[in-house]
Amino acid sequence: MLPDPFSIFPLRAVTGSVVRCDFAPVCRLLLVLALFGPLPCAAAQTADPDPVAVLIDTAIDQQNTAAGITIAPQADPDTLLRRTTLDLAGRIPTSRERDWYLQLPAETRQQQLVDRLMQLPDFEFHLRNSLDEMLLPERPNDGEFREYLLTAVRERRPWSRMFREMLLAAPAEGPDKGAAQFVRSRVRELDDLTNDTAVLFFGVNISCAKCHDHPLVADWKQDHYYGMQAFFHRTFTSKKNLILEKPFGGVKFRTTAGADRDAVLMFLNGAVVTDATPTYSDEEKKSAEEQIRRLEREDDAQPVPVSFSPRQALADTALADQQQQYLARNIINRTWARLVGTGFVDPPDQMHSGNPASHPELLQSLGTDLVTHDYDLRRLIRSIVLTKAYARASIWTTETPLPAAQTFAVAVARPLTPRQLSASLLIATRTSESWPAVDEVTARPEEWQKRRTDLENQANGWMREFEQPSRDFQIAVDEALFFSNNDRVQNDLLRDGGDRLVNSLKTAETPQQAARLLWTVACSREPAEADTQVVVDWFARAAQRREADVQALLWAVLAGAEFRFNH
Amino acid sequence: MSGQRLIPVPSGLVHPAGVSRRGFLGGAAVGVGGALATDMRGVQGLRAEEIAGELRRGEKHVILLWLAGGASQLETWDPKPGAKTGGPFAAIPTNVSGIQVSELLPKLAQRMHLTAVIRSLNTKIADHGGGADLMERGRPDDPGLRYPDLGAVVAKELGRLESTVPDYVSLYTSTEGRRKGTSGFLGARYAPLFLAENMAPPNTGLHERLTAAEHQDRAALRDLLSKRFTAEHRGSTVGSLNSAYQRVQGMMASAGLFNIEQEPAEVRARYGPTQFGEQCLIARRLVEAGVPFVKVARAWWDSHGQNFETHLELCADLDHCMSVLLDDLQQRGLLEKTLVITLGEFGRTPGINASLGRDHFASAWSCSLSGMGIRGGVVHGATDAEGQTVKDGEASAADLFATILQAVGIDHTHEYMVGSRPTPLADFGSQPIRSVLV
Repeated sequence: MLPDPFSIFPLRAVTGSVVRCDFAPVCRLLLVLALFGPLPCAAAQTADPDPVAVLIDTAIDQQNTAAGITIAPQADPDTLLRRTTLDLAGRIPTSRERDWYLQLPAETRQQQLVDRLMQLPDFEFHLRNSLDEMLLPERPNDGEFREYLLTAVRERRPWSRMFREMLLAAPAEGPDKGAAQFVRSRVRELDDLTNDTAVLFFGVNISCAKCHDHPLVADWKQDHYYGMQAFFHRTFTSKKNLILEKPFGGVKFRTTAGADRDAVLMFLNGAVVTDATPTYSDEEKKSAEEQIRRLEREDDAQPVPVSFSPRQALADTALADQQQQYLARNIINRTWARLVGTGFVDPPDQMHSGNPASHPELLQSLGTDLVTHDYDLRRLIRSIVLTKAYARASIWTTETPLPAAQTFAVAVARPLTPRQLSASLLIATRTSESWPAVDEVTARPEEWQKRRTDLENQANGWMREFEQPSRDFQIAVDEALFFSNNDRVQNDLLRDGGDRLVNSLKTAETPQQAARLLWTVACSREPAEADTQVVVDWFARAAQRREADVQALLWAVLAGAEFRFNH
Repeated sequence: MSGQRLIPVPSGLVHPAGVSRRGFLGGAAVGVGGALATDMRGVQGLRAEEIAGELRRGEKHVILLWLAGGASQLETWDPKPGAKTGGPFAAIPTNVSGIQVSELLPKLAQRMHLTAVIRSLNTKIADHGGGADLMERGRPDDPGLRYPDLGAVVAKELGRLESTVPDYVSLYTSTEGRRKGTSGFLGARYAPLFLAENMAPPNTGLHERLTAAEHQDRAALRDLLSKRFTAEHRGSTVGSLNSAYQRVQGMMASAGLFNIEQEPAEVRARYGPTQFGEQCLIARRLVEAGVPFVKVARAWWDSHGQNFETHLELCADLDHCMSVLLDDLQQRGLLEKTLVITLGEFGRTPGINASLGRDHFASAWSCSLSGMGIRGGVVHGATDAEGQTVKDGEASAADLFATILQAVGIDHTHEYMVGSRPTPLADFGSQPIRSVLV
């Protein structure tokens, strides 16, 4: 719907100039065009459709239409604001951001929101956090790795480059040093290094093919498992904690038939890499092995020259794979799953012929698109959050049964990650005035950069209280106990003070005003009548609005499901 | 935690929390009542033969006495007196003819009719981390798949979904070899309530600035608002938030279970003043209140030096506390519903080293099972004359896992689907040791 121009510009001025005109209808049209044509708000009235978003929606809609599946309507603007902000900025919107957003023209609102959020440091922090949660889930606070990811995200490095940097784990100075953490944290367990690489970068879990050809998946044989392992077999850590490779050595394994075999360097698509290792004499081998032992023990040992690097060969082979595009399809699938709730391939580590994608041609097109656009994750993310599929309501009110997850016909409520939840709690407990207005952020980006960095650091102090969501995630009673009884919740989160929402709620003139404040700040929406009534009833119990009653009210909203989920 | 106080527990048992005095929302929405209602709806959705099983949940228990560091089988369940590996201690007869144990376990010897001993574990992994992983989970971890440990599996299989008591409690106070335990792919719902620093569980005390009534009113308000959202948003993850909050009052009330001051002095005296004794008493209190799995870790058996002094001290504690525990469970009619296990990450070498110690040894060692589902007075398997190898009835970690699950009535071949991967409760190919099962 176009905004009514007469509600934006003073009505009297416009009508006053046309009533005396004999060609009123024509003049009116010309006048409107002359007045509004060149204005920026009018120029933005039709959003340029994102071609990739259209591609995605077309594929999903076609399949649903063919299957006779009803789709949920688009989510209301408030819901979409909260969802998009959580997904791009890693936090709920401030109520000032909401004020800005609600006055945008409906046609371009989502696009303007997305483009604004992606310009903020928030986007960089959150994309970094999401990649960190994916790649190093067991070490949620690895400073070096997080610094590397942030740098890479800030510099808009292609995913293909990040993959190569993490896999090669080459010695580096500055923030790039942290790239080696992916390999370093797994180097002690060759199986973990092999399988985690396959799972996280290629969407393939081949661990079942270690002891026998995969029992369920025809694609994966022991050759694939040991073929992947052969790329990592020479990797070791020096005393100085550098990730190095031995100049020779291979993997032997025993087949289920009992035959002993030397593994070849084989990628998941069956491509065999020629092992270009030169032949070493026994003498040379002995001396190299001695040198390696020294490297493992001594700080100042000289590195062993290596003429062929299997890990580099793996990176080259994976990036050369134009056919199956494991690297591209995996990051597309995981990014889609993160933003929409379920992947085109589900579970995300089961990308094989026995578990076809819900929209195989779409995934293929997206893969080609990502490769041709230099593995640009920002472009991919922007397209996804501009789809209609992303913007659907998460409430299913239709009589027909809830459609299956992979129809993407209805949005799913997703639990917030520990960092999203922590940052959101910090925003929801402060007054709306304690956050800058949108134009202030635009005018002084460096101030917001500083403020957002503080928020990120503060959130770090809370995140360990919450569990990283996994598949079929269940919220533990520990979280409910923490929220119900912990000192920090009572004394810090619910604290009264100048910039605290508790203070505003306490001094609000009426319960209705308190309800409006609470819901707009914490839930990013106006309170429903029933919500306001709860607040009225709650305060009616006590003669006056005591601090404790206000704290309890805020607590009840923050501990509730509406706040806990991205919906 | 400082500044917190415990909610008093009526007559020492878990009791549904009372209704708010001020009665906001009529008190009807308060946690525990809601939990029961949900449970009953769940039961109605089950097939007839499942209902009986569902109602029995919360009535079977496992207490794992974890001998952290690795106890010597030669000084406990598999003595080799006279052998050059035998050490200085004698073997003594038990109250079951034909079975002898180390003289360091005189009280347990008199309760041998309650206990089955497995002397033929060959589990191969002899480092602390790897061995503990293996014995806690019944199999080595696979890359990309984190297995739940025994406690989490038992909690899932025997616990009530919306139980008001914790369903997996892990007690450990020594710093050596401290391990939290893991629910692996079963997720946080089955993670252990881990007590390492204090004897009371964290975040179960009422905050000093809240009254119990305020706490409950606030919870009722949360429930009201939260349920509006969950009514419109389906899915078990969304539902799990309200389920978690419904357990809060019960968990707070059950904090009193950790307070042994509530036990009669005479009972406390029986268990004795040692930390292990007190934790065994807590374990009994938890089991009595319906907790499916309690692990009590006793450290540190890792006797690379001075093996015999170490075992003289630690065996006395084990012998006394476990005997009192078995008697107490039996007197309360709980032993037939409770399996008591002694296990560690491995045993110790038959060979005695230069420091008069015994080192890590995983190829021929012992554990014990008593109580529920167990044929008492039985020894399974045997080692050779010096205890170097298993001679008869070799059992793996997976076999032991299967045996434990079978003893408490859990089908060890039942499979969880992890993604698209079927994963049996006990590892593929495991065989329960039938001779120790009833």
